[in-house]
Amino acid sequence: MITSDTRHTTGTLVIKSVVALIAALLLFAPFLFQDVRSLEVAARICIFIVLVASFDLLIGYTGIVSFAHTMFFGFGAYGAAILLKQMGPGWTPVLLGALAGVAVSLVFAVAIGLLSLRVKAIFFAMITLAAASVVLVLASQLSQITGGEDGIIYKSPDLFKTATKLLTDADGKVVRLWDVKLNGKLAAYYFVFITSLILFLAMLRFVGSPFGTVLKAIRENEARAEAIGYRVVAYRTAVFCLSATIASLAGTVYAVWLKYTGPDTALSFSIMIDILLMVVIGGMGTMWGAVIGAVLLILAQYYLRDLMGAASEALTGVPLLPELLAPDRWLFWLGIIFILLVYFFPRGIAGTMMTGRKGA
Amino acid sequence: MTSPSLVTEDLTIRFGGHVAVNSVSCAFHPGELTVIVGPNGAGKTTFFNLISGQLTATSGRVLKDGTEITGLSPSARAHHGVGRAFQLTNLFPQLTVLENIRLAVQARSGHGWRMFRPVSGFRELTRKAEHYLEATRLSTVAHQAAATLPHGDQRKLEVALLMAMEPDVYMFDEPTAGMSLDHAPDVLDLIAQIKADTSKTVLLVEHKMEVVRALADRIIVLHNGELLADGDPTEIMSSRIVRDVYLGTAQGTGGEDAA
Ligand SMILES: Nc1ncnc2c1ncn2[C@@H]1O[C@H](COP(=O)(O)OP(=O)(O)OP(=O)(O)O)[C@@H](O)[C@H]1O
Ligand SMILES: [Mg+2]
Repeated sequence: MITSDTRHTTGTLVIKSVVALIAALLLFAPFLFQDVRSLEVAARICIFIVLVASFDLLIGYTGIVSFAHTMFFGFGAYGAAILLKQMGPGWTPVLLGALAGVAVSLVFAVAIGLLSLRVKAIFFAMITLAAASVVLVLASQLSQITGGEDGIIYKSPDLFKTATKLLTDADGKVVRLWDVKLNGKLAAYYFVFITSLILFLAMLRFVGSPFGTVLKAIRENEARAEAIGYRVVAYRTAVFCLSATIASLAGTVYAVWLKYTGPDTALSFSIMIDILLMVVIGGMGTMWGAVIGAVLLILAQYYLRDLMGAASEALTGVPLLPELLAPDRWLFWLGIIFILLVYFFPRGIAGTMMTGRKGA
Repeated sequence: MTSPSLVTEDLTIRFGGHVAVNSVSCAFHPGELTVIVGPNGAGKTTFFNLISGQLTATSGRVLKDGTEITGLSPSARAHHGVGRAFQLTNLFPQLTVLENIRLAVQARSGHGWRMFRPVSGFRELTRKAEHYLEATRLSTVAHQAAATLPHGDQRKLEVALLMAMEPDVYMFDEPTAGMSLDHAPDVLDLIAQIKADTSKTVLLVEHKMEVVRALADRIIVLHNGELLADGDPTEIMSSRIVRDVYLGTAQGTGGEDAA
């Protein structure tokens, strides 16, 4: 017991330090990584941390398997996108879009929840899959509103235009801080960072509250949770709504950042698969897992190719290796890394390190 | 006598053609400890499941303090003050012992929906949980996951969860089954303490005759789902019924826990 306890605390400490480091890197990202692509990656990481954490409220904390998470993300994104397109850039369409996205998400979440949270988990998963598919098809069919497969391009509020100067010097030129222009792009990044941070902290609150303990109880033993007096269906529906709301808000923020919304960025099943991979890599049932999973997978998706290209070039002349490390094989290597991670961290990186126990 | 806290009227459940509980009518009073005996498969656990809501009756009614609770969910019945412990240990395995108990305390307190304040801010919940932790002598393992406890401690935790619910009606389903001799008295003492509170109604399924003798105010005998006898312990124990039921026709009927 003593060894397991010490491992418990050191593992937890390591994970928390890593998360703190990630938070610091994200906070200073515009100053640390001064190129457009890096900032894209940082913003995407912020959004996906929220998206994965909100998904983990379902799968990791409550034991609900849903495939409709991107659908809620999409509602929020399309809500803002459609209104920004129709009403022009401004804060009103963003706010209304966020509200509309949340409203539609809640209608769907309540309907799916009440209809099917009483039934077997597998049936519930199927219903969410069906709903998400229907919405995906609808989004591509209703092209007058949604832009179909092409999606929608629009402008974000003026504050976030690259040309916007947050601070000007005496000559009217934009002020630079550590060589970084204090312009609208910077404001947009901090909009993403701060909203993501608030949503993440809110979720940390939820999981540490009495409500959060009930979710874990339901995951651990639904029948006993019901027997000691918790209305399981009500709690499951509530957490499904909560998770949908947060995903929808994350979608709105992402739409404002990207200035483009289409099936590929907000609705497709490949996003759903990314979320699942992130939650498995990071570890279910811990908010820190969402952070670690999102960071690792997104970094791999953006940089593994480059890294392999560099490695392959550096190794020219060596037999076989450059061939193996050819950038085109990055998906293959991602698969290998994924298998190794699941093998060595069966409960995800954070999950395994923090409990110090292998296996479920 | 006081008015009954729990009443069953013609309580019946069929599984296909098999009648597991057959028209059982019984009233249970505060301050009374009723032991339910009967061979394996007699329908004791099923009877409990019908009262606490894990199963819904095919016909008949369940009343708590005169209010019908027959169709309610288990959680709603828990809020009506009907609590039970399970024959097969039924805990929250990966949560600690303290967390297990606190969940039961919290269910009773109605704080389960609070989501903006950390659990640690609810001192009274932790304090109450610690009280039941001590009462059941589980303090030393408070921070271990329930799944890692030895069987005897898991049985004690099972009882602790029921106690932490603070119901009016306590239902124990073979609470000492599989417990070593040095643990069993702990649990029996707890039941005796509950019994001493005259506002509480206790139902206890138990096979060990010395336990029955020590605790029972009344014994009912179930056999093949039917209420075969109901009365004073000395009367029932001296009658042939119990012996017949245990040694006679009922032998070899396998019973499975439905919960
Ligand atoms: N959910 C169910 N579906 C079908 N049959 C059931 C179900 N629950 C119980 N039974 C049947 O009802 C009968 C009574 O079972 P029950 O578990 O109530 O017996 P018991 O008196 O508690 O026995 P034991 O002393 O072994 O615990 C058994 O024949 C059992 O197989
Ligand atoms: Mg039984």
